[in-house]
Amino acid sequence: MRKGIKLIFVIWFGMHALYAQNKQLLYDFNEIPQSLMLNPGVKTSEKWHVGIPVLSGLSFQAGTSGVTVNDLFADDGIDFTTKVRERVLDAMTRKDDFSTTNQIEGFYVGFRGRNRPDDYYSFGMYGETDIIVYWPKDLALLAFEGNGGANIGRSFDLGDLNLRGEMLNVFHFGVNRKLSNDLTVGARAKLYSSIFQFQSIHNSGSFRTSPGQNNVYVSSIVADMQLQTAGVKGFYDILDEDTSTTTKDLTSLFTKRVLLGGNLGLGFDAGFSYNLNPQTTITASILDVGFIYNSKDIQNYTLRGNASTEGITVFLPEDINDVNNDLWQELVDDIEETLPYEENNSGYISLRPVKVYGSIRYDFGEANGRSMENCGCGVNMERGGGKSGIYRNSVGGQLFLMKRPRGIQPALTGFYQKRLGRTLSLKTTYTVDKYSWTNVGLGLNLQAGPVNFYILGDNLLSYRNVADSHYASLQFGFNIISWNDN
Amino acid sequence: MKGSRCRLLVVLIFFPFLFNSCSEKQDFDQFEDLSITPTLASGIFYLESDEATINAAGDVGVFYVQTINFDAFNEEFVAERLLEGTIQYELENTTTKRIGIAIEFLDENGDVLDVESFIVEPNMPEVFTRDVFYGPGGRSIDILTTTSSLRIAVGNLSDSTSVSTTSDPKIKLSSGAEFLFRLK
Repeated sequence: MRKGIKLIFVIWFGMHALYAQNKQLLYDFNEIPQSLMLNPGVKTSEKWHVGIPVLSGLSFQAGTSGVTVNDLFADDGIDFTTKVRERVLDAMTRKDDFSTTNQIEGFYVGFRGRNRPDDYYSFGMYGETDIIVYWPKDLALLAFEGNGGANIGRSFDLGDLNLRGEMLNVFHFGVNRKLSNDLTVGARAKLYSSIFQFQSIHNSGSFRTSPGQNNVYVSSIVADMQLQTAGVKGFYDILDEDTSTTTKDLTSLFTKRVLLGGNLGLGFDAGFSYNLNPQTTITASILDVGFIYNSKDIQNYTLRGNASTEGITVFLPEDINDVNNDLWQELVDDIEETLPYEENNSGYISLRPVKVYGSIRYDFGEANGRSMENCGCGVNMERGGGKSGIYRNSVGGQLFLMKRPRGIQPALTGFYQKRLGRTLSLKTTYTVDKYSWTNVGLGLNLQAGPVNFYILGDNLLSYRNVADSHYASLQFGFNIISWNDN
Repeated sequence: MKGSRCRLLVVLIFFPFLFNSCSEKQDFDQFEDLSITPTLASGIFYLESDEATINAAGDVGVFYVQTINFDAFNEEFVAERLLEGTIQYELENTTTKRIGIAIEFLDENGDVLDVESFIVEPNMPEVFTRDVFYGPGGRSIDILTTTSSLRIAVGNLSDSTSVSTTSDPKIKLSSGAEFLFRLK
């Protein structure tokens, strides 16, 4: 039991993760090919690019809108139970969450159409893990304080249990088309290969103990709760068997699921970039509009019904001849009958978390001609005739919206980007969201010949004490890029 | 020139954040000090009888006796974590009878571990309550953790003919418990 609780703590605070899949530094950072993954309609200038396998795109994000690791585990001499009481139970709400997202690009390739140079095609594969656990405030209070004492009469909301997680592999193919000098659009089709998925997101019900009509207390529960899992049991069974082939079996099952051997789904991304004038650009994109149909390796758990009990009750004369001495067991059986815990194998559809980006950018500080000559840009740019890409500075704002189990989560970003020739580009952001109001990020894109390297770090101010950070993210990658035949 | 400028920018601006990041000292062993001790409340037993039933038993005296299996406290998970608690009894009597009630706590062998007795006077104007504390300073918590069944006996200590003039006269026994558990 103690190990179990500790494990839960370690998992939560170990991943103390994000969600906010918001990649505000990468968005519209069009010198980096991976920006196409955030807006299929971003302006592209390269002739082709190849991501270095596994190293082309790595992103890790972690966030907690509530308590931080430092809040609980700082070596500050304060009693740990007191810290949990004051900083978790009293401070966190059901809207707070712990979550994590990471992405690893398997491969990523892009090329410009030979016959249609205004089209840029890209395809690839990446793995993604998303987990979000909302703070189950009332259930935590019930466990910590119980239903007695000051909680007599309090209704504990069972709907506070809300969590969702998945690991999947994504195969994608996108088309980016420059329709005019001012408008570029794009779309990307996605095939999802699920490794596992679980969700418990539509729970409702309550538990309450109050003074009874007859007896001292009456306890009532109304529950409509469900945990759906797909692909979890297969891994669990292998681990549970714990044989000499466990590692091999796990690898085999994982590989099979990665390569379309598990539950599958479809989705798409779409986006555009539009020049309002030569120096002002607006962009928008919508990502992961899709679903996975979970029909294999399903194990669902339900708790539905309602029950109310005042304990063992005897009414005379009605029960005068009831000499059964198993009244307690009867009571337990009655509750289990009216509030059954059941398992089933019904398939279900899980929706991908839809993300929306929007931005407006103002470019200024025109570069000199020499800089332009050396920029290497060009298939698309040369023919474009516009001045896009030759401005040394950009400033603007971005909006990010994400569909989460408890509604839309927004983030607002202001940014400044500085280009130093075609070799180096820096972007700094300030972002406000539920995780942090002091999120300053910095991104660097370095182009050394055909080799492209980028690294983007968020919430840099928190690096003074990482353990006290509500949010952290890091993305980096290597690509080979060609703008012409050289 | 350009290359050196790039390197300078990288060194001065970016990497210090990443590689000079730090963290206050963390002590994850504090988790072992976490104490979770919820108070759980529940109704236990409720008995009510009308006066006619008491009279119908005649001069036998005891008009209700029942032994009930009651393993709520001696389940291993509960017994190991039970720290202390209080059983609250409430009695109402609007009949004309003087009533005697005995609740015996029995172990697995049927041996009596403890007895809670009540004498309830007739026509009680108010609810009678009694709180029995188990734990440090009170009765032994072992009584509860080894209780396997309850024997409840209710007897009439008065005549078997009188009838109360009040509306719907009854004897009522209510009981509930609040217990402190150590989950961690």
